[in-house]
Amino acid sequence: MIQVSGIFKMFRSGRGKVFALKEISFSVEKGSSLILAGKSGSGKTTLLNCIGGLEKPEKGNVICAGEQIHSLSGKALSRFQRRRIGFVFQSGNLLSYLNVMENIEFPMALNEIKGKRRHGRVSELLDAVGLAGAGSAMPFELSAGETQRVAFARAIAHSPSILLADEPTANLDSENGRQLINLMFSLSRESGCTMVVATHDAEIIHPAPHKLFLKDGQIEDAI
Amino acid sequence: MTPPLVSLRFIFHMGFLYVWRSWRSTLVLAAMVFTAVAALVFLSALAVGTNDAMIRNSVGLFSGHITGDNIPAADVPHISNIKGVKYVLPRWQRPAWLKNRENKNYVILMGIRPDLEKKAAALWKKTVDGRFPEAEEASIYLSEFESRRLNVKVGDTVHIRFDDGSPEIELKACGTYRTGISFLDQGIAFCPADVFPSAGGTMSVAVFLEEGIDAEKFMKKNAHLASGMNLKTWSQFMPDLKQLIDLNHVSMGIVMILVFCIVSMGISCAFIIFIVKNMREHGIMKAMGIAPYESALLILTQVMLLTGFASLSGTMTGALAVAGFGRVGIDLTSFTSYNPYFVVSGIIYPRLTFYSVVLPSFLAILFGCLGALWPMVYVIRSRAADVLRSI
Repeated sequence: MIQVSGIFKMFRSGRGKVFALKEISFSVEKGSSLILAGKSGSGKTTLLNCIGGLEKPEKGNVICAGEQIHSLSGKALSRFQRRRIGFVFQSGNLLSYLNVMENIEFPMALNEIKGKRRHGRVSELLDAVGLAGAGSAMPFELSAGETQRVAFARAIAHSPSILLADEPTANLDSENGRQLINLMFSLSRESGCTMVVATHDAEIIHPAPHKLFLKDGQIEDAI
Repeated sequence: MTPPLVSLRFIFHMGFLYVWRSWRSTLVLAAMVFTAVAALVFLSALAVGTNDAMIRNSVGLFSGHITGDNIPAADVPHISNIKGVKYVLPRWQRPAWLKNRENKNYVILMGIRPDLEKKAAALWKKTVDGRFPEAEEASIYLSEFESRRLNVKVGDTVHIRFDDGSPEIELKACGTYRTGISFLDQGIAFCPADVFPSAGGTMSVAVFLEEGIDAEKFMKKNAHLASGMNLKTWSQFMPDLKQLIDLNHVSMGIVMILVFCIVSMGISCAFIIFIVKNMREHGIMKAMGIAPYESALLILTQVMLLTGFASLSGTMTGALAVAGFGRVGIDLTSFTSYNPYFVVSGIIYPRLTFYSVVLPSFLAILFGCLGALWPMVYVIRSRAADVLRSI
């Protein structure tokens, strides 16, 4: 489902050239989950961005759901992202001018899911993440845990085949973090989507069956 | 050609929600655009009103919008019947010597119809002593300057002698006037047409047009009716005024451009801030699959909605202010009392033109869009991760 082959990613900064990713290769089976573990600055977010098409590697290939995503045109990449990928950002990144319901509807609107189907799906997701009464709330009215749950609901609203989550529990306390992770794993298992989660949270890393440890942009260990 | 990814309706809806729900920023930015547009609409209408006042004053005092010389008396009714003509004032003139005791002076004596003159022209309002002549009265109306040269006071008798040997006549000075305009204050005197010893069947005429009729257009439109007559518009017989009005247009144009530039720079910068502060959200949307050109279109929609609404409100407010002041006028007499182009009245009535209504809004929207250009290009050219990282 996801096949990453020999990708390099380099940034130019005040410190000169920095290699964020060096010769990374791995694959993730359809419907399974992979944890990208590592310290801050190890390249987890950059790798996730390369998989999701948010970043283009200097070298190497990323094949997601049969598409070589970095060979796609801008429009084709957008089409691929909106249909196939769901993204959970570290700090939720809800659209500030849309309420909870509209945020969840956004990817469905992009995919032209309309009417009762869309409303039904929103209600279903709000129930699933425990925010049934919060549809009209604006993002600034939500706690960090609620924000992440809405972000997760938004990421899976259009039933993507790939879910990418970047430090989803970073801003949460352990209880909220555990709840969110359990929710993420159970819902993505139900929907059969492939999930890649970048984290340095030991509570997530330990129980996960498939793990990739990154250090200084390279794979240190793979389980 | 591949179909568009999302509909324009969706983009418009998103743009509207952004503008509506970011109400604090929207309000501040809209207030800026609104104030600028309203002020510029009013300013440009005031400039037009000032020019109107100069024309109204200059033609209203004596000359009319159109003058004609050597017009046969039989043609005057033709001119009066042309659509758009309000008054036609016939005037007869001939050179004459004015004499009072030992003092004498050579002037143009003008025979007028006092009743018509009082209705259409404003010379009578410039009386400083005595009064304006009345019909059939053997009186003469002198400028203050000429009365001093002849040492004539109101009530004195003035002897009039003509070079062609016509019999001398005597007229009583009924009043003196002062306009501040040299061709009316020097070398001219007026008497009622009934006592004017006419030199033949031709006369000069002053044509006053209905309010709002442009003299040049009127002449072009009625060229066939006025053919053979020696008619001139105010811009032809007062080239100084024409030049001054043209100069006003140019200088007001420069002022407007400068004001627009300053205001527009402010609008553009404010829009850049307005968009850039939410740039991260464009990064999020790109990550979710909004295409680059859709992001650009969304930014453009936000700017167009905001400037469009603010400009429309500003134009309406400016137009309302113009309508209000256009009714009562703005009295600037204390600034114009020595100005020969404001001899009748210093009241200015602002007037809207097509350009004064449309131009401020158009420029506000244009510069708003220019302000959005850089963020649009940035969103189009950058990858989602770069947009997210840059803020």
